[in-house]
Amino acid sequence: MFYRIPEINYIYVSKLDEALEVLHTLDNARVLAGGTDLVMDLKIGRIRPETIVDISRVDELKYIKDEGDYLRIGALTTLQDIVESSLVRAKAPVLVKAVNEMASWQVRNVATIGGNLCNASPAADSAPPLMVLEARLILASREGEREVPITQFFKGPRKTELRKDELLKEIIIPYERGSGQHYIKLGRRDAFTLSIVSVAALVKVSNGKFSDVRIALNSVAPTPVRAYDAENALKGREVNLENIENVSKLVLNSISPQ
Amino acid sequence: MSAAEDPYTLMEKWLKAKEFLVVGKGVRRADAIEKALGMARYVEDFYMPGHMLFVKQVLSTEPHARILGVDASKALEIPGVEGVFTAKDIPGENQVGYALPDQPLLADGKVRFVGDLVALVAARDFDTAIRAAEEVRIKYEPLPYVLDPLEAMKRTDVLVHEEVGSNIAFRTKVRKGNVEEGFAKSDVIVENEYRTHHQDHLYLETEGALALPELGDRLTVISAGQYPHLVRAIVSRVVGLPESHVKVIIPYMGGGFGGKDDEGPLVAAKAALVARLTGKPSFLLYTREESLIMHPKREATVIKYKSGASKDGKLQAIDVQIIHDTGAFTNRGPFILWRATVHASGPYKVPHAKVDGYCIYTNKVYQGSYRGFGNPSVQFAAEAQMDRLAEKLGMDPVDFRLKNLLRPGDTTITNQLLDHSVGVADAVAKLAETAGWREKRERYSKENGGRYRKGIGIGVAWHGISTSRGVPDWSNALVKIEKDGSVSVHTGIVEMGQGSPVSSHRQIAAEILGAPIDLVTVDFGTTDAPDTGATHASRGTSIGAIGVYVASAKLRERLNRLAAELLETSPDDIVIKDGKAYARSNPSKSISWKDLIKEAYARGVEMSATGYFFLPKGKFDDQKGQGYAYPAFSYVAMIAEVEVDTYTGKVRVLRIWPGLAAGKIINPTQVEGQVEGAAVQGMGYALMEQFVFDDKGRILNADMTDYVIPTALDAPEIMKPVYVEDIFKYGPFGAKGVGEMALIPAPAAIANAVSNALGIKVTKLPLTSENVYFLIKGKR
Amino acid sequence: MEVFFKLNGQPVKVDVKPNEVLLDVLRLKLGIKSVKRGCERAECGTCTVLLDGKPTYSCMILAPYVNGREVATIEYLKENGELKPLVEAFADVGAVQCGFCTPGFLLTVYAFLKKNPSPTREEIKKAIEGNLCRCTGYKKIIEAIELASKKMKSG
Ligand SMILES: Cc1cc2nc3c(=O)[nH]c(=O)nc-3n(C[C@H](O)[C@H](O)[C@H](O)COP(=O)(O)OP(=O)(O)OC[C@H]3O[C@@H](n4cnc5c(N)ncnc54)[C@H](O)[C@@H]3O)c2cc1C
Ligand code: FES
Ligand code: FES
Repeated sequence: MFYRIPEINYIYVSKLDEALEVLHTLDNARVLAGGTDLVMDLKIGRIRPETIVDISRVDELKYIKDEGDYLRIGALTTLQDIVESSLVRAKAPVLVKAVNEMASWQVRNVATIGGNLCNASPAADSAPPLMVLEARLILASREGEREVPITQFFKGPRKTELRKDELLKEIIIPYERGSGQHYIKLGRRDAFTLSIVSVAALVKVSNGKFSDVRIALNSVAPTPVRAYDAENALKGREVNLENIENVSKLVLNSISPQ
Repeated sequence: MSAAEDPYTLMEKWLKAKEFLVVGKGVRRADAIEKALGMARYVEDFYMPGHMLFVKQVLSTEPHARILGVDASKALEIPGVEGVFTAKDIPGENQVGYALPDQPLLADGKVRFVGDLVALVAARDFDTAIRAAEEVRIKYEPLPYVLDPLEAMKRTDVLVHEEVGSNIAFRTKVRKGNVEEGFAKSDVIVENEYRTHHQDHLYLETEGALALPELGDRLTVISAGQYPHLVRAIVSRVVGLPESHVKVIIPYMGGGFGGKDDEGPLVAAKAALVARLTGKPSFLLYTREESLIMHPKREATVIKYKSGASKDGKLQAIDVQIIHDTGAFTNRGPFILWRATVHASGPYKVPHAKVDGYCIYTNKVYQGSYRGFGNPSVQFAAEAQMDRLAEKLGMDPVDFRLKNLLRPGDTTITNQLLDHSVGVADAVAKLAETAGWREKRERYSKENGGRYRKGIGIGVAWHGISTSRGVPDWSNALVKIEKDGSVSVHTGIVEMGQGSPVSSHRQIAAEILGAPIDLVTVDFGTTDAPDTGATHASRGTSIGAIGVYVASAKLRERLNRLAAELLETSPDDIVIKDGKAYARSNPSKSISWKDLIKEAYARGVEMSATGYFFLPKGKFDDQKGQGYAYPAFSYVAMIAEVEVDTYTGKVRVLRIWPGLAAGKIINPTQVEGQVEGAAVQGMGYALMEQFVFDDKGRILNADMTDYVIPTALDAPEIMKPVYVEDIFKYGPFGAKGVGEMALIPAPAAIANAVSNALGIKVTKLPLTSENVYFLIKGKR
Repeated sequence: MEVFFKLNGQPVKVDVKPNEVLLDVLRLKLGIKSVKRGCERAECGTCTVLLDGKPTYSCMILAPYVNGREVATIEYLKENGELKPLVEAFADVGAVQCGFCTPGFLLTVYAFLKKNPSPTREEIKKAIEGNLCRCTGYKKIIEAIELASKKMKSG
């Protein structure tokens, strides 16, 4: 009632090809996956598209598939489906942990993982876990597909590698065997809130030493970031709290503005 | 009035009741099912799009400016726009200040904060109204403005209200003994400055009103509000109609907490004004953003507090300065300040006291009523002082409090003698026991290494029942027994969640009449009932229900006399319960409830009564700062256990133990509900809720993403309350107020627990991760 | 444009503008008043409905999105016996104060107990994280859910 969304055209598509075709032809169009970001943005006037392309019925983009060494997740998979997937819980626990703390059940029931990434908020909570998992994204257009590492996907607040006529189709998540994964979200309250800062970490240990360290954060820079300096400093070091505490200060190198 | 119906006699009689039919039991409230199933009607539910005008507000974008002109021509060109109204269109008086005449309904000549109301736009539908409001052009001449109360206090070159000649809007004082003498006798003295911040009520339903013009120059207004008769008074003043021409109905409300006591009459007056000017039904509803920007908040304060105690653990003196950032208008600020001033000592015996209060105008959203009414901030300061003194004396905080807590026969800092109903010391002792205070306090005080630190803290508080300083207060109600034996209660008390009309009022009527409770219906929140006073100051039951109590008692006397006649016994021998009246001496002599009522109608016994009661009060001397403050106080104690993550500054409240000395508990389920809700609201205030203002005093976080309140995952475990039923002689069955109580000590208890966990004194709220992190860093 | 969907088990056809949200269609066009307007920003939970059986906020759903889908509000569940123990539990325990949040809670809890008939306290809290309540402090709501889950299993 109170938020006046400007007049828009609304079209439905039910096939990926159809969606790509429409995106190719229309100029000022936006796709609606779950719409949880999009509708709020329309309400507050952050975006002014002419046409909304409802892709929520493109069922071929809703899946979680196990390929042994990696998982493939369709971009239209809802956040709640990810939380409830035993497959993701087993192979990418850090993603489940993060997604479970996103928004609320009501939002997660319609919001999609693709939407969270494509919206490219600096506070996107699925980004840090996918960054430490070194996920790869499949972008599709009428011309074909290309693969982009997630670390190169975000270009700034609400800016991504996606071209206007492209869709995010799939997220490929390598299965990091023998790794420890964790996610911590700090918000203004304990649930249903945006991150003040969140951290995802993935480590591998051999002979009491860190053999691999990956750390990613959100809400501390224009895009979610990896903390490479801290990671490098910790690699090869012995696993103890003191080392971690010392190195943790290097995370600041990845924060901007500092 | 026959002597038999004298309210004092009746109250004394029922106060002696020992056995109860429904009072003291967790009777299910009458509205629960209706609300759960979505059938209860709130203001917006009466809106019929297409059949009513929609009203949209045009708010100031300037913190302080002269209005040079309002150009509505573009807006008026839009088809469907019925009018754009400003101060000059008001047919009655453009004055809505509750305490001082400093507040126009619509800005008159100048605006005083970002959010001040300049114009009302009325259109056939909401879309058009919103669009038109954007087209209203206001020409401003910006004026210098002042946002910080300490600065405003000193400045006279920038005045929020020129006519006052200063930004000091109001002063209060309390004096007892001689503080110099008191500090001379003190072996330990502590002095600190405390700061507290604004809080929003964040009721889930925003403010709304619907005004319906009726035949013969009458108006019916369905509105938010906590006092239908006050809503009516303000409406009638603004639209220029006699009060008798205005009918106000306050339907179910999605929360009030004091906020709708202030804003309800204003939203009603706005809708009524448009209805009066256009002759059409007019509906106004605040957006969440408007609600957050415009309606009055819990005051922000600066409190300077000096207190002293002697080696034997006795408080000797306090010297307190309370500064309230009252914002653009005083609203109820003076009343709030009075409450803070007379409660400044906390519930303790203090021989020497000096308290000064100031309401300071600034160009920000203004101060208003909020559960606790000036008290949570000052109790936070007082209770932090108590902990610091205990620390210096090497005493346990609970022991130190027990030495100083008020007991019957003591006098307060205004020199009021407390002759009865003072159960606070018992409550604190019982609570400390229940919470395992000593063991935990000792353990947490020793353990202070590691990332996560636990702490336990206590807050004790008091809250005067009824209006402050002997200001007149009364209760009333109309109780009718209908021909079929059903009972209708008409009260001005509203239902905003607290439940008094749908629980305790029903219980009281059923208890006294002996009528089956299912037969009792309460019609609440209406000017059709006699003026019952407001549903605020925890008075919904304690004072608000006295009217029901007295009216029911009058009817019961009549029924007893009638039944005695019918059953050939004496009125004192009559028992009415379980749907019949019988003789105690011979229970086989009986008559059913329904037949009894039939007989009453057949024999000319009046089956309706009002229950007017005017509270006897003393006088307060503003000049001397001494005198009568309240008929009685409710007392509350709270113990909080917290865990602090020293890496992030994150505070988690683990457990809360509440204790009440609030007289007779009429409905334990309802009381627990009030305690739990208030405790979590208080926790929200202490930990996470805060406004962010920009350099123009504009609220930047006017939405629920950035103004956060606790979720189910934030709420602590809340233990069953400990009760001490310290009977209040004028309360129904001895009840005192409950609604606000648990909020008042919550910030104090939590802050004291955080202090205990970290070994750092806390003087400022809220305890957000960021603030606590810097608090810890500051120490290192 | 026209949208067709099932509302409370009945097929409906409504003429909507694509920029309308479901909340307004329900309240202002279809007269469903149990769905409450609290924030219009997906921040409070009072406008919760079940969309294809799952709780979601009607204030963030554009009207055309529901085309071909199923929407349920408390009115539907009212007819449905399964809701009874839940409503009774809320009333008995004292979980209803102002009631503005209650229909939203009931829809969420109904869907939740269907999925998880024997939840732990932590699971309950997690399920209702997106329904805010300013009155109760949540304790009695959580207790009511525990009671309802017991009643539903035994009945
Ligand atoms: C109340 C609330 C709380 C929230 N809390 C959180 C939180 O805690 N953490 C968090 O990270 N986020 C949060 N969000 C944001 C939001 O819910 C998520 O970002 C969600 O995952 C977005 O998904 P969606 O499907 O709804 O996206 P949509 O709104 O449909 O789309 C978002 C954007 O991405 C584009 N887009 C969507 N899918 C694709 C695709 N496949 N290819 C190309 N472009 C696409 C859309 O055009 C749009 O610009 C919250 C939102 C709300 C309303
Ligand atoms: S109105 Fe939809 S979540 Fe608040
Ligand atoms: S009962 Fe009032 S918001 Fe929940």
